[in-house]
Amino acid sequence: MYAFFKKDILVLFRDRTELVVLLAMPFILIAILGFALSGLLSGNSEVLSMEVAIVQEDDEEQGIQRFAEELGKSGLPADAQNGIMAAAEETSPSSMLQEILSDESLSSLVTAKEMDGAAATHALEEEEVVAILTIPEDFTFNALQKMMLGAGGGSELELLISDYAATQSEVFHDILEEFVWSLNFESAIARAADGEGAVPEEAQPLLGGVESVSAVEPISSFQYYTIGMAVMFALFVGATISAMAYVEKQQFVFHRILLSDHHPYVYLGAKAIAAALVTFLQFCILFFFSSLIFGAFDLTDLSFWPGMLLIAFSLAICVGSLAAFLIALTMRYNNDTITTVFAGGVVTVFAFLGGSFTPTEGMPAFVQQLGGWTPNGASLNAFLIWIQNLDISMLWEPLSRVFLITFLLLILSLLIFPRKGEA
Amino acid sequence: MLETEELKKVFKGKTAVEGASLYLDKGESVGLLGPNGAGKSTTISMISTLLKPTSGDVRLNGKSVIKNPSEMRRVLGVVPQEIALYGELTAYENLKFFGRIYGLSGKALETAIQRSLELVGLMERQKEIVKTYSGGMKRRVNIAAAMMHEPEVIIMDEPTVGIDPQSRSHILEMVRQLNQEKGLTVLYTSHYMEEVERLCDRVYIMDHGKIIASGTKEELKSILSSEETVWIELDRPYPEFFKELQSFEMIKQATETEKGIKLILPKGSRVLGKVFQASERHQVQIINVNVQTPSLEDVFLHLTGRKLRD
Repeated sequence: MYAFFKKDILVLFRDRTELVVLLAMPFILIAILGFALSGLLSGNSEVLSMEVAIVQEDDEEQGIQRFAEELGKSGLPADAQNGIMAAAEETSPSSMLQEILSDESLSSLVTAKEMDGAAATHALEEEEVVAILTIPEDFTFNALQKMMLGAGGGSELELLISDYAATQSEVFHDILEEFVWSLNFESAIARAADGEGAVPEEAQPLLGGVESVSAVEPISSFQYYTIGMAVMFALFVGATISAMAYVEKQQFVFHRILLSDHHPYVYLGAKAIAAALVTFLQFCILFFFSSLIFGAFDLTDLSFWPGMLLIAFSLAICVGSLAAFLIALTMRYNNDTITTVFAGGVVTVFAFLGGSFTPTEGMPAFVQQLGGWTPNGASLNAFLIWIQNLDISMLWEPLSRVFLITFLLLILSLLIFPRKGEA
Repeated sequence: MLETEELKKVFKGKTAVEGASLYLDKGESVGLLGPNGAGKSTTISMISTLLKPTSGDVRLNGKSVIKNPSEMRRVLGVVPQEIALYGELTAYENLKFFGRIYGLSGKALETAIQRSLELVGLMERQKEIVKTYSGGMKRRVNIAAAMMHEPEVIIMDEPTVGIDPQSRSHILEMVRQLNQEKGLTVLYTSHYMEEVERLCDRVYIMDHGKIIASGTKEELKSILSSEETVWIELDRPYPEFFKELQSFEMIKQATETEKGIKLILPKGSRVLGKVFQASERHQVQIINVNVQTPSLEDVFLHLTGRKLRD
């Protein structure tokens, strides 16, 4: 049997077109989807990281002092004045904005540099920063007047964004809008508290909430598409090996093999092993290069890889059975239409249902269920569980589906494949 | 050594082969002639155990191989009409694979590869990818692959189709060597009558799934005619010479033509010696003598009403 699958692998590796389809194509798609849809998934903040210039024209201390003076003239009772003043000091918008921009959750995304107006303009022109945020004169005073006393026209932040880094600028704009909205919301609550000045602790602004596949440990777009494309293109290996078997039959090489007095099941078994081996190699190559070039996974994390390889191995075995099934049908009906239809249509449908193109979380429940029963979908789920460091027992469900599919395909292959080698 | 008895194969109600009985003695070279669709390949597939006959039997050394094909497969080499090789691999890699599946390994495998390559004259180019070979070279590797396990019987299904004359000549010489020098039993099918005439001791002629004639080349030709025609080309008419020839008892008919004399003789008669003696006596200047015997092509045409390549 060794001679058979060694030959298959040799033949496959000499066929450049097939190699491009099986190795280069998924890699190209990982690159395209990983970059293009990085916003869809979290974790890859590196792509969106930005530097912004802060032009501080406001004097916060002076603003609070002026507000205190204005408050003193308001005629409110002393207790109320004290409460409002305490709230004003705590929720000074200028301080809050500074805090948010230096917050840990945003620090990997936004680096804020304080500059004067001229330096900031120069930095924007030189594309050193993607935006200039100007905190205007009397910002603190005007904002507190509006927030605490409902007086005056409030204050506006000035944002000047670049047109060379549209995505990053847009993200920064969204962060500020979120801040302003939260601030307005808080002041509304504060006023609703009838001037008590009791701003709830839990009402800290939620800024830049990042959507992720899992609430546990977010995965990057490159991680997702590396496994998404790997499980999808693994299916193509089954079709490729089946197509090779059909060519062998057409060219009478299969007859030559039968004449060597090997049982046809040996031939079928060798094909299944070759498909499994090629699939596993394909996984290893894609994982390695995706980690190396896109930084999808940490190559040095020795505790991470055994699980990845185990799941890859499970799907590889399943692809071996799939190849055997396609070969059995091809040989039985002496027609490779089934393989062509599988490679040309079924793989795409499976990839869609299984979530190779986009996570299935937002899709209808039946689509998710169907996808979970495709070998690629089940394996993708298993990979996601492993990558997100979820409870290891959760792996059993998707992997048991892969094993069940493998078993069924294998039984069907043995039943369908012409035992005498005749078609 | 190898015989078939009343082989019959029916595909979806259509009879492809019917009542095919043939035999091959050890060391014999036998031709199987027939046009496309005659049933040659189906017969070969049944003999080589790739196809189970609807009825009839195939026996090797008196034992049926229908239910137990292993015995036959062990001693049989088949050269299919198609190039049954991996185009992406080199000749060496192809032979290595085919040797391995016959259980060869190590030194025995290497020896078998080199022996087969030497046989087909491709030692120098064994490391080249097969798909880059010419048609003739591919055919030669196709034969080498069938020879890896040193079979006792080889079935060659049109092994020279679509190749250049040089490769064809090489293959024919190789088959002759295998048969005459190495004692290999050969069943050879071809469209090319001259190949069968050159290589084979006996011939089976198939048409419409049936064997319609068989025998040695001479036996088959005798189906067509028991006579042969001799043309004697002369520099000028010699009436006295012509008169003497007419008196020969062995000459059935003598006709004087513009260029010479046409004689019709019984097949195998030894009268030409006397004809030459007479020509010396009459000082006749003979320019050319041409003995015309029926070819297998003529026999085939006679039997089937069509040419082999129709």
